[in-house]
Amino acid sequence: MNRPSWRLWVCALLAVFPVSVANSAETPKPGGILNATLLEAPPSFSIHDETTISAVWPAMPCYNNLVLFDPLKKQESLDTIIPELAEKWASQDGGKSLVFFLRKDVRWHDGQPFTSKDVKHTFDTIRETPDITSKLRVNPRKLWYENVESIEAPDAQTVIFRLKRPQPSLLLMLASGYSPIYPAHVPVAELRPKCLGTGPFKLKEYRQGELIEMVKNPDYFVKGRPYLDGIRYTIIKDRGTRYSALQAGRQDIAFIWEVAKTISETTKHAVPQLVLVETSTNVNDHIIVNFRRPMFKDPRIWKAINLAVDRKGYIQAGRQGAAIIGGILLPRPYGVWGLPEEEQRKLPGFGDPVKQKAEAKKLLAEAGYGPSNPLKFAVSTRAIPTYVDIASYVIDQLKQVGIEATLEQVETGVWHPKMSRGEFEVALNLTGIGPDDPDANFYENFRCGSIRNYPDYCNPEVDSLIEKESQTLDQKKRLALVREIDKRLQLEGARLMLGWSKEYVLMWPYVKNLVPHQSIYNYGRMQEVWLNK
Amino acid sequence: MNVSTAGSSVEPATTLRRHNLGENLFLFCREKPLGALAALLLLLMVLAAAFAETLATYDPIRTDAQHTLAPPDWAHWFGTDNLGRDIYSRIIYGARVSLAVGIASSFLGAVFGGIIGVISGYFGGWFDLMTQRIMDILQGLPLLVLAMVMAAALGPSIGNVIVAISVPIIPRAQRVIRGSVLAIREFAYIEAARALGIGHLAIAFRHILPNTVGPFIVLMTAQFGSAILVEAALSFLGLGVPEPYPSWGRMLSVSAAEFAQKAPWMVLFPGTAISLVVFASNLLGDAVRDKLDPRLRGA
Amino acid sequence: MHVYLFQRFITAFLTLFGMSVVIFILLRLVPGNIVDILFSSAGFVNPAAKQEIAHELGLDQSIPVQYGRWLRDIARGDLGKSYRYDIPAWQVIKPRIPVTVELAFFALLIAVILGVPVGVLSAVRQDTATDYLLRTLSLAGLSMPSFWLGMVIILFLVSWFGWIPSMTYVSPFEDFKAHVLQFLFPALAVGYRSSALIMRITRSSMLDVLREDYIRTAWAKGQREWIVVFGHALRNAMLPVVTVIGIEFAFMIGGLVVTETVFNLPGVARYLVDAILWRDYPVVQNLVMFIAIVVVVANLTVDILYGWLDPRIRYGVR
Repeated sequence: MNRPSWRLWVCALLAVFPVSVANSAETPKPGGILNATLLEAPPSFSIHDETTISAVWPAMPCYNNLVLFDPLKKQESLDTIIPELAEKWASQDGGKSLVFFLRKDVRWHDGQPFTSKDVKHTFDTIRETPDITSKLRVNPRKLWYENVESIEAPDAQTVIFRLKRPQPSLLLMLASGYSPIYPAHVPVAELRPKCLGTGPFKLKEYRQGELIEMVKNPDYFVKGRPYLDGIRYTIIKDRGTRYSALQAGRQDIAFIWEVAKTISETTKHAVPQLVLVETSTNVNDHIIVNFRRPMFKDPRIWKAINLAVDRKGYIQAGRQGAAIIGGILLPRPYGVWGLPEEEQRKLPGFGDPVKQKAEAKKLLAEAGYGPSNPLKFAVSTRAIPTYVDIASYVIDQLKQVGIEATLEQVETGVWHPKMSRGEFEVALNLTGIGPDDPDANFYENFRCGSIRNYPDYCNPEVDSLIEKESQTLDQKKRLALVREIDKRLQLEGARLMLGWSKEYVLMWPYVKNLVPHQSIYNYGRMQEVWLNK
Repeated sequence: MNVSTAGSSVEPATTLRRHNLGENLFLFCREKPLGALAALLLLLMVLAAAFAETLATYDPIRTDAQHTLAPPDWAHWFGTDNLGRDIYSRIIYGARVSLAVGIASSFLGAVFGGIIGVISGYFGGWFDLMTQRIMDILQGLPLLVLAMVMAAALGPSIGNVIVAISVPIIPRAQRVIRGSVLAIREFAYIEAARALGIGHLAIAFRHILPNTVGPFIVLMTAQFGSAILVEAALSFLGLGVPEPYPSWGRMLSVSAAEFAQKAPWMVLFPGTAISLVVFASNLLGDAVRDKLDPRLRGA
Repeated sequence: MHVYLFQRFITAFLTLFGMSVVIFILLRLVPGNIVDILFSSAGFVNPAAKQEIAHELGLDQSIPVQYGRWLRDIARGDLGKSYRYDIPAWQVIKPRIPVTVELAFFALLIAVILGVPVGVLSAVRQDTATDYLLRTLSLAGLSMPSFWLGMVIILFLVSWFGWIPSMTYVSPFEDFKAHVLQFLFPALAVGYRSSALIMRITRSSMLDVLREDYIRTAWAKGQREWIVVFGHALRNAMLPVVTVIGIEFAFMIGGLVVTETVFNLPGVARYLVDAILWRDYPVVQNLVMFIAIVVVVANLTVDILYGWLDPRIRYGVR
């Protein structure tokens, strides 16, 4: 035979068998330890007490939810919700009752059996019903469950959520990484320094401020999972060092947030075999003004601040291009509910920067401020490099309309309480929302009296609108209502939106089944992840 | 560290008195060319800081979204950082903060330390004993740690940072000044003056103080370098002068390290600036000390 | 000798006592109530918890009583509670101590290994090109911010070798080589600066000794240079050097703080920074006291060593 034909045979063979080749490469192999990175030490392991990804990401492997968003599907929605502790669920009474049928074979990490009592305990604690045994310290998502009238546990495997009115979003909120089930037999305070759940991994060691080590749960109720033997989360505060560590192979995956496009590109360029996934985060950057302060009672002031900031510049300089403009809710193509771009651009702050700055100066002059009497305040932000940079950018923009602002850097742990107590003037804030859902977002951040409503914005009309959309079952009508609320919130200065950040998750190619979702808060379970090494 | 023991065998440091100021400077330049060079460098830096508005090419906090991470070129001599801010201008303005903090804190520390040293050394007795113990205590705490705690306690502002850095300098200053006061106190002519009934204050001003000028200058130049380094460290850790005003130390923290691979100029220029200033200050300090007070050599 | 030792011990003790007062006062300088700060930074929201904290910290009592309580706790080894981590502070600090101690030790070792020979060489070759070069290098070491040096080292390692030392603590029993590499570079960054100081002192000390008569005699007698230098001069020059090493230890702590941050080493110094930034003030107070104790002990050790080395003190000659 002449030479070319044996090549033909090889090609033919490969053409016939590529499926099997591909398949055998994709059969998960058990074993190995995943080296993941954390930006900062988690304030605590108690997810229900925390509001930051730094707490959710390392604690998620330890727990389970009733239901969860499918880890392997990037876009989260009602259709991607899969069972976890609940095998089946059903909506009854025209949507006013949500029944969950729980698994029988689940044990807590300390051996105790899991029952419906645990579910009732968890959500009663969050709702702060009078009969609870231990209280959460912070409880930022209490309002998520405001619509729940009561929770019944008629037998060990059944839980019924009785709602005041139908709420399509409830299931989505329960599927978020922020909704793990806590053990009823452990006081909530004990779940801060360590975690005790039913999840695929158990906490092996926590070296404060340095390292969190998780080990496989051998009695996990899903047989054959997890694939990994363990996970090591290393806390590396310095971003440059994090990427150097990834580059040098010491870390398998960089932290999934606070990434900086430039660095991930540089790292990828240096090590081309790294896998780079571009995704959204469901975290938005915005400016809030403290309505409690007398200077902000005059709407011209915050309107001027809003007009001064060039959004395009924020995306290019502040975020290195890794962001998209949007309103209160995550816009397409990542989210479902956000205002379409054309409508968002019509809102103040998103137009021509030169004209807007002129208008801002006019407003300030009308309010009595000018070159001889400049407006001064402090812009507070979290002491994380990206936010310090964005805040510096904002301060520069403000300077160009004659506002003299200084920067106040606040450490994460001190940030949330400080904001809740209203100890700021203007803040460059960021908020992530667990699931891409209007209820979660509105209830948590804009309802009168919510602990996370830092600016202390309160409009009872908007509250009733939120109430209305929450129970609207018709998708189209609901979308219209949600968008109307979105616009109103922006026009009333509840938040001066800048944009929604994108992330570039970098990992080594042997890390399999770690699929970044469009929200960073819901895919940290690590149950399906395996290492092809 | 002061290795001077009972130094009454050495003449009082009146070398300064033999020539006038101009001649002294000239001699200095001739004998210690390196030191003179260092002094010139420092003077240039101070002038640059003073005339920052003229020398800088851009507003240091002005961001430029179109030109982030630009390498050095004719538009931006030292390149730009990740927000598009001109690094050269930030270094010029940053000189203001760093030098101001450095000078103010080393001066304050030296003055207060000097006063305490003079009083303590001159009057002696139990006051001296007490003061020395207190100074030992303050000095025992590491410089940066003490400055960190003070900066954190007082809060971030340029004034607080200056106070925070000058406090640890006080004990070090007073030790040197006290040493020279002790030496001078033993001289015969002081005894004579007392015998003649000249008041303490007069003695202090006419005889003691002028002889402490030498050690004082040496002290200040030595501490100036330390002060700059401590300010840089404080800013690096996030406890120094707050944004948005540029500070060399802060230019090195945070963003610089992470963008270092792509834009090494972000790291190289501020670090070099700090090193140069401190280097010049140390050179100058060495030269001044060699000229004025060879006994202190080796400290 | 015994009188000397006794004096030194008393001084050390009194100094520590005084330091505790200074530290105690410093922390009370904080604007605002410590309880308020802790309360908010630890994430509490209900006022009942605030009362608890106030009581735990003993803030409902008078200042002297508080001070006394604090001293008593320290003497007992109770370093208080970290409100940040909700566990006893000692538990957080304990695993970090060996890291910092090791780093300090290696840094000092490097400083001595680099500084002393270079200082000697510089003194022996005074005013030659070698001397100027070495003096410039050492002055550069004193001038560079040590965190910058650390950053430049990491940048260099990553760019040229595509490698950096481990970012989590590797125990020497686990992987000796990785452990050594992990500590080598930060020790270099810190040690370079200390070596500069030691070099300068060694040099000037040697210069002084080299001028002495008995050295001239040795030269005249025709003894070889290195014997003269190492045999006679160095031994006598070492006294001030030893003192400086002790003092340098205290100076080094500043360098340790920033270097541990840059190289991500889980030491006590870095924890101090974190505690300050997190406003975990009770821990800050205790940590600073701890550092003060270490410094005083180090100085005391040096004093004792000095006393033993200096024949004038050893044999009680005044």
